[in-house]
Amino acid sequence: MSTRPLVGALAALVLTASPVLAAEKPIVIGVPVGLSGANSVVAPSVVQAAELAVEEINAGGGVLGRKLALEVADDASGAAGAQKAFDALIYQKKVDVIIAMETSAARNAGLPAVTKGRVPYIYTSFYEGHSCNKNLFVNGWVPEQQVPPVIDAFAKDKNAKTYFLIGSDYAFGRGMLAFTRAYIEKTGAKVVGEEYLPMDGSDWTAIISKLKEAKPDALVTSTAGGAPNVTLTKQLRGAGVTLPYANLAVDEGTAKSMGKDADGIYLSASYVTGIDSPQNKAFLAAMEKKFGAGLRTPNDLSVPEYEAIYLYKAAVEKAGSTETAKVLAALPTVTATGPRGTIGMSKQHHAPLTMYLGQVQGDGSVKVVGTFKDVDPGEQCPKLD
Amino acid sequence: MLLLLDILTTAAILFVVAIGLLAVFGVLKIINFAHGAWLTIGAYCAVVTGKLGLNPWAALPIAFVVGAALGGLAEYVIIRPLYRRPLDAILATWGLGIVVGQLITLAFGRDVQLTPNLLSGTVEILGTGYSAYRLVALVAALVIGAVFALVIERTRLGLSARAVIMNETLARSLGLDTARVRLVVFMIGAGLAALAGVLLTPLTSVDPTMGVGWLIGAFMLVMVADTSFLALAAACLVFGAAQVLVSTFVSPVLGSIAVAVLAALVLRISPKGFSRA
Repeated sequence: MSTRPLVGALAALVLTASPVLAAEKPIVIGVPVGLSGANSVVAPSVVQAAELAVEEINAGGGVLGRKLALEVADDASGAAGAQKAFDALIYQKKVDVIIAMETSAARNAGLPAVTKGRVPYIYTSFYEGHSCNKNLFVNGWVPEQQVPPVIDAFAKDKNAKTYFLIGSDYAFGRGMLAFTRAYIEKTGAKVVGEEYLPMDGSDWTAIISKLKEAKPDALVTSTAGGAPNVTLTKQLRGAGVTLPYANLAVDEGTAKSMGKDADGIYLSASYVTGIDSPQNKAFLAAMEKKFGAGLRTPNDLSVPEYEAIYLYKAAVEKAGSTETAKVLAALPTVTATGPRGTIGMSKQHHAPLTMYLGQVQGDGSVKVVGTFKDVDPGEQCPKLD
Repeated sequence: MLLLLDILTTAAILFVVAIGLLAVFGVLKIINFAHGAWLTIGAYCAVVTGKLGLNPWAALPIAFVVGAALGGLAEYVIIRPLYRRPLDAILATWGLGIVVGQLITLAFGRDVQLTPNLLSGTVEILGTGYSAYRLVALVAALVIGAVFALVIERTRLGLSARAVIMNETLARSLGLDTARVRLVVFMIGAGLAALAGVLLTPLTSVDPTMGVGWLIGAFMLVMVADTSFLALAAACLVFGAAQVLVSTFVSPVLGSIAVAVLAALVLRISPKGFSRA
């Protein structure tokens, strides 16, 4: 018996083994999210969305022949936690890119590490706008995209000429309502009242009495997510307020936990589960299949995370490498098609987005009552283009 | 008129929330910092009642019983050894509050919970619709206050409790089982806190940390009222009025600190607070 077949087999083994060796070093995506703290309600859905994207891409052969891997870190929803999380991801885990939904405080705290460590950073949360850094790209909405659809709809369908604004007393709440007021006044309508309560405040009695006295045509609120939003809505309904009511801080999950009180509320988002497209249906089915009973309902904060991973894939493939400078050059030029449609971060590192005007139904689901194609994010970072 | 109703109902809600804390402080001479956790327990009793498909109002007795039972357990296991160490009792009850909050998180998750509506709609008063539920809260406060007064003034338990408040050593030497009085009073205080938790559900979000904000307000009120429930009612009216008036005419942000500022001022001027009157 000759030894030749054995040698042949060995050679074959070595030949087939070498691509496996090359593929062993995956492209690592760092995901700092608020697993604890204020964002802990939404963070699990973000991680799930990222896991699905990575699984799908790896099943399709990865990116440039390399697999994707996730490195999730807790940023504790705040600045101090984010500094630690970004440092650990960039300097110890040596991630190739950061793709994450975070609070504004966490994003700002992470930016110095991103700049110094020279990694691309795709921020996937909606936020108050105007955060500019050459490494930073954003695929969530900014006020310029979220507010106009609601106000325009109220002006056209409800003939609203006077508005009352209520918010939580913090940067996002005040920022959103400042933009809302400016936009309302630009359209020729009037703001007849603007009131705030601290984030931990739970008694809206006096504000609601003022609202009833002002007799506006419509109401716009922008509270902190979760508890304050639910508290305000319960007290509004208890007081018999039935005005056209737009809630800038509500999502489908929160609407469900408000039960009947949420009925009729208008919201404006770049993603609702009811989007009628094949991509969205396939995405929802895949999420359902992968996570089953443990599925956290996909939302306007988790879907951009999913899409951003595809945007990164497209950029790396176009650049032909994961080298930061090349990826940063490719990112504004690529698009990816996901549940929210075909999206590219082409406008000053921000993304034109299709916005949906939704109305909460009696059973807590959200019905799309208006679609606004490719709403422009406006002048976010004129110096970056 | 609307303003007057706002003041009365705000005071009523403050009173409902603070009365359980006052009962415990009066007899046991300790501040029960787990009071907020018991409010939360009560609210979650409403959640469970809703899930079982029972009448939403059934949550009131259920919460009182559950709150009192858990309160009795806590008194027996944790609080009883700490009566002579009031500072340690603050630490222990605060810690107990955190533990209860975490247990609720483990069982129900961090999410905001849906509770059945106790009462919705408005009542027409002088041409404006006013929240029907806030009027119910006002009635509830009056009923709770009246029952509390009857128990204190007209029952044997009330007599024993007053004896313990005035001079515990003397009460014990006269043959009163003061340990039992303390246990029963703590259970009533915990039950009232849980009851208040149910009454809060139509007004506030139900989540594991919901009790914390209310605890601070209740604490201030009890500091000012000392051990008298009439003083508590007066304090609720004055502070509730201040909160509503400042919120309406100055700013809601300042209104929400009105209670804290006023409490500090009152205690600075008159260390016995409202109870001297």
